[in-house]
Amino acid sequence: MKGDRLDKWLKNIYATQQEEISCTECFDLVSGLVELEARNENVGAKMQQVKQHLAQCKACRDEYEAVRDLRRLEDQGEFPSLDDLQDSIH
Amino acid sequence: MLLMSNMRTNEEWLTELRADDTKQEAAIADLRNLLLRTVLFIFNRNLSDLGTLARDEILRSAEDCAQESLIAILNHLDDFRGDSKFTTWAYKFAVNIALTTARRERWKGVSLDQISFSADGALFDRELQDKSSGSAPDQSVMQDDVRDIIQEVIAHDLTEKQRQVLILMVFHEVPMDEVVQRLGTNRNAIYKMLHDARRKIKGILQARGFEVSETLALFSTQK
Repeated sequence: MKGDRLDKWLKNIYATQQEEISCTECFDLVSGLVELEARNENVGAKMQQVKQHLAQCKACRDEYEAVRDLRRLEDQGEFPSLDDLQDSIH
Repeated sequence: MLLMSNMRTNEEWLTELRADDTKQEAAIADLRNLLLRTVLFIFNRNLSDLGTLARDEILRSAEDCAQESLIAILNHLDDFRGDSKFTTWAYKFAVNIALTTARRERWKGVSLDQISFSADGALFDRELQDKSSGSAPDQSVMQDDVRDIIQEVIAHDLTEKQRQVLILMVFHEVPMDEVVQRLGTNRNAIYKMLHDARRKIKGILQARGFEVSETLALFSTQK
């Protein structure tokens, strides 16, 4: 394991909580988090747990980031059309 | 291009998807289009994972993922609490299925047989330890202590399953869904194993006097 990864992992170790929510709970709540963040609203205690889970779980974090990006594209009217997306697959 | 899907309210989505007429057909067609675009968006961002597939195979796989997410969404409509836009809620199903599919494709032919789970060997790079010789002697000794403690916990204080999952995911960067598939389990179980392992390592490091800021400072100065 390389130094910067060990550094990151140690941060995750020390950020470990006694109780953490599961991936299923995270999936259930993550769209609500994306919504609150998109509206710049404060996230409550439950959403802090989602954020804590996202910091620990790459699989859930990747999904959260993609949903957040898609929501942003939709809001800006820039979600690519089906034709454009199909064309960009080589 | 402006699609109907962007113009429905959450209520309209739910009502029309549950309707029993042509409105339902239109809503399902729009939702399917949105999901297919979501899957293709994800595939485009992860094209290197799909490297071995021909273009028509990728497009076919995208159709399958879109269909699978459509079914999942229709089965879970009652779970939608309205705490986000309906489309945001719907994206997460397609994103989950598309990312899982892309990772599975990327790891399809990769053998994990060479990975040792004994944890008796050095888990941390020799190279790293040599590099750290540039730091003050005390600091270098303490870094070695932290590594030794972690290695010891991994070797002696974790269950075999916890050790296996930790070594695969943390030391070999195998994605969670791949570990889930190969061990025939689910994300929650894997997350719990890693959580328990982190808790043990944290507890033992603290019990040996390595507190947060001090330990992190030891390693973050190496960059």
